[in-house]
Amino acid sequence: MAMIEARGLVKRYGELTAVDGLSFAVEEGETFGLLGPNGAGKTTTMRMLAGLCPISAGTLHVAGLDVAREARAVRRFLGVVTQADGLDTELTVRGNLEVFADLSGLSRAAARARADEVLAFLDLADKADESVDALSGGMKRRLAIARALVPSPRVIVLDEPSTGLDPESRVRVWEELASLKRSGVTLLLSTHYMDEAELLCDRIAVMHSGRILDVGTPAELVARHGGGRVTDLRPSGARRETIREALSAAGVPFREMGAVFRVSADGATLPALEGVTVSERAPNLEDVFLKVAGRGLSEA
Amino acid sequence: MNAETAMASGTGALIRWRSVAALWRRHLQALLRVWKVAITWFVVEPGIALLACALGIGGLVGDVDGGISYAAFVAPGIVVGTAMFHAIFEASWSAFERIDRSLYETFLTAPVTVPEIVLGEIAFASTRALISTLSVSAFAVGFGWIPLGALPGLLLVSVGVGAVFGCIGQLFAALAPSMHTLSLVFTLVATPMYFFSGSFFPVSVLPDALEPVARALPLTPLVDLARAFSLGTVSGTQALQALYVVALVAVLLPLAMMAMRRRLLR
Repeated sequence: MAMIEARGLVKRYGELTAVDGLSFAVEEGETFGLLGPNGAGKTTTMRMLAGLCPISAGTLHVAGLDVAREARAVRRFLGVVTQADGLDTELTVRGNLEVFADLSGLSRAAARARADEVLAFLDLADKADESVDALSGGMKRRLAIARALVPSPRVIVLDEPSTGLDPESRVRVWEELASLKRSGVTLLLSTHYMDEAELLCDRIAVMHSGRILDVGTPAELVARHGGGRVTDLRPSGARRETIREALSAAGVPFREMGAVFRVSADGATLPALEGVTVSERAPNLEDVFLKVAGRGLSEA
Repeated sequence: MNAETAMASGTGALIRWRSVAALWRRHLQALLRVWKVAITWFVVEPGIALLACALGIGGLVGDVDGGISYAAFVAPGIVVGTAMFHAIFEASWSAFERIDRSLYETFLTAPVTVPEIVLGEIAFASTRALISTLSVSAFAVGFGWIPLGALPGLLLVSVGVGAVFGCIGQLFAALAPSMHTLSLVFTLVATPMYFFSGSFFPVSVLPDALEPVARALPLTPLVDLARAFSLGTVSGTQALQALYVVALVAVLLPLAMMAMRRRLLR
């Protein structure tokens, strides 16, 4: 049985359809990513899972329970880390965890013990009695994750877990998510970071305009949509205008990305150009994403 | 339809009191963390109002309503008015900050529902009303303006104040688009009621056109009830007033729950 299963999931806000017939299944112990640009419907999908957003049509099940009809039962084993962290600034770090434990139905003794465990796991023990406002951005995110872990959920939903964090904090969050994965927890996360998706996810659903365009392992997605080689042309003397004209004349589609001209083709097939540094590489998830973010996979 | 289903489908038929109590404990913990400042809200502010009215205005007006000292007349009014400010502040202003900081969203990711959040806020609004009533009454009892025996009655009334104004506060918190607009709950609700619900003068002295309006205000029956307990003049009228308070809660509570549901689950 799939741990999370969406069938024909739809969310409408008046005229706008934010999620448009989503179907996917996440197996137990799997880490599943929703990858897509802003407005793709990732957050709405996660909010529907968390019971924060009424479903317009379709069905959503967690461990066989219908999210729309058994919201409270679902939340007993579903941990949620929202984008906003939603920390309680009126309480201490430990207070945040113990109150959430209380809300989750744990006894006082169990709440204390569990708070100690998650504080140790997320390396926040020395901050236990601090005010939330005293924490750095990275620590706040880890506290939000710690809070979601308090009731020992079997499934954890994370909306953009590392957005807004500095590189070191991101790596820490990833390490902690990886160790959760090792312990058998099912993870569903949304992201628009390729490195995050590639590193953490067993499978990824590429989303655009409320739809899933394709689902697969990172390697499968790259193989299907990345195209052949990717070549970057960096002007080292040549005028940009010259390169632009030469590529257009040769009928080679290109994309100007900051300093470089990016071409989805083998460097050897390109017109010879003076004063240009050519670097060639295999396509990666980012190439897939850029195509999706720009146009949608079908036309890419 | 099982119990969980009833809840999720939004009928609000099932309330898990364990969640309401947990929310209440959270609010108490947050208040106790700022107890040093909170003491001024509960003791200093109402103390000033009470002393100013009883000693200042009291010295000018002499007796009211046939032989009652102004201090004995105004004290229960200030008790109830202060309780109202506490309840409405907690359920609207503090609650709005919790919405704004996505804290309600966090509560909802636990096995907690919107009606339970609203009830937790109202329960705590009533608690604040109770604490305030205890502290203001202690003052008044000390000065001999309220008899000690009236205290249980006043505490009962302040639970009513907490319920009515907890509901009103939650309704405003759910409907206000911003903190800015939320301040209207004080301008349009709390302040007019504080002054026109018979706390400082009998409603009967108002012009004929205004008197029925003042009588219909939600705070007026609560002030009358408190005064009846304080002066020992409880009669059949008070039963009707109590009924009016219960009816207000019966109407306002579902409205507050519906509005909050619309606000949070989108």
